[in-house]
Amino acid sequence: MSATADKIAEGQIGGRLWFYANYHCNLRCTYCLTESAPEVSRREFGEDEIVERAREGKALGFTALGVTGGEPFVLDYMPELIATLGSELPTIVLSNATVFNARRLREMEPLADLPVHVQISLDHPDPEDNDEMRGPENFRRVVEAVPKLVERGIGVRIATTLEDPAAADPQEMERLCELHRSMGVPDEDHVVRPIIKRGRAKSNGMGVLAGFEQLDPELTLTADGAFYSPFAPTVRAGQLDTDLLVSRTTTPLREPAETLARIVDGRPPGNDASIGIT
Amino acid sequence: MGLRRWNERVREPATVGRYLDSNGPVDDSPPGATNVSDTRPATAGPVPLIDAEQAPILARAYYPGHGPPSPVTASLAHVPEILELTLPFVGRVLGPTAIDVRTKELVIVRVSALMECRYCVETHTAVALDCGLSREELRALRGEEEIESVFADPGELALLAWVDAIALGRGSVPEEVTTGAREAMGHAELVELTLVAAATLMLNRYCSALRLPTSAATLSRLAEEGLG
Repeated sequence: MSATADKIAEGQIGGRLWFYANYHCNLRCTYCLTESAPEVSRREFGEDEIVERAREGKALGFTALGVTGGEPFVLDYMPELIATLGSELPTIVLSNATVFNARRLREMEPLADLPVHVQISLDHPDPEDNDEMRGPENFRRVVEAVPKLVERGIGVRIATTLEDPAAADPQEMERLCELHRSMGVPDEDHVVRPIIKRGRAKSNGMGVLAGFEQLDPELTLTADGAFYSPFAPTVRAGQLDTDLLVSRTTTPLREPAETLARIVDGRPPGNDASIGIT
Repeated sequence: MGLRRWNERVREPATVGRYLDSNGPVDDSPPGATNVSDTRPATAGPVPLIDAEQAPILARAYYPGHGPPSPVTASLAHVPEILELTLPFVGRVLGPTAIDVRTKELVIVRVSALMECRYCVETHTAVALDCGLSREELRALRGEEEIESVFADPGELALLAWVDAIALGRGSVPEEVTTGAREAMGHAELVELTLVAAATLMLNRYCSALRLPTSAATLSRLAEEGLG
């Protein structure tokens, strides 16, 4: 067993290996960690590169994979890539679910037979409130897309991101839960998490602090290097945040994995509390 | 020695005040080049310097508790896995060891002047003053006076001939210079001072290429000492 596998087994490092597939997105959400938008640089990690690192991660002892962005599904190869990843390890891919046209849905059908979940953002049960932060027509597109994925047998999770989940209106949350249940997504596949005070959220004065002390270590690979968490490779005012950069080296994967383990070993005792956002 | 004055080239205008950080190319430099401001202006170099708030996890140990880091640290922080190897190496080679710091600074200033590295010459001129080198010695090392008119110690002259050959030459060092160096230094001393010269050459090219800024405090001090 590798040193990385030991750390994962001990719970010191998250078992999921994350990839930032890209940084561009068809939306421009007000709390976006990466300032993603249609016009930003794509900064793709690369289809082949993701597959190779994923297989390397599996050999090192990682137990699951995650893909995020940007919006991963603006990349044509994403359905096939997720199928490939899902044949290696359980995989989750984060999406805004607004680019699932008929062709894309057909391409995604093979995911139904694999341990794959598409995690889709939906923040409010009311279109106006939801679309205020996520953009026009977002709500409508999501509630149209989710049942289509569920009908095809594809695993769907709903992720709700709130300024302060503890202060959420219980009635509003109940309506949101009724909505996702009505679309075929059970409660166990609904996650509620706080806005993270990084990226565009920080610029807009939103979110809770999420630094080295608050985040769980989960190795995250991007075109810019390896990071401490999927909440780490954020962008603010057009500049990549480097405070949670682990290394620029991503190949071989053993190197950033061992560096992350070394960082975790050096983390002060008591600073291992998570704010439960992964 | 046909050494051009290290600062013979036209220097950028309004240098003082533009560059507000640095306590030298290594964090454990001797005192004398202090920081004066937490405010970092946009660097004129090709890469931004990473401030403490954005310092990667592995780089944080190399950032001082107060004031900005040296620009070498703040630039290397872009690649933390390289920083965490380079800074201990540079600190060990250029910092205190069995060889006295005066001798090391003599090598560093001389090589930096030959390589016309503005940042290294300015920063290490201040460090060298703290290590006991005189203004006259520093002027000579910087090519502003004849070496032979200031330095009299045969061992130091042999060392300077050795580092001049390393910095300016190509291929092997001439036999007569090698002979002089072997007579003046023991094996360990020769190896270490050669590495000091080689590491300085590396830093000279690094600092010059990235146009690393000298601190305002250092520039002010050099002006006061008549070494600006």
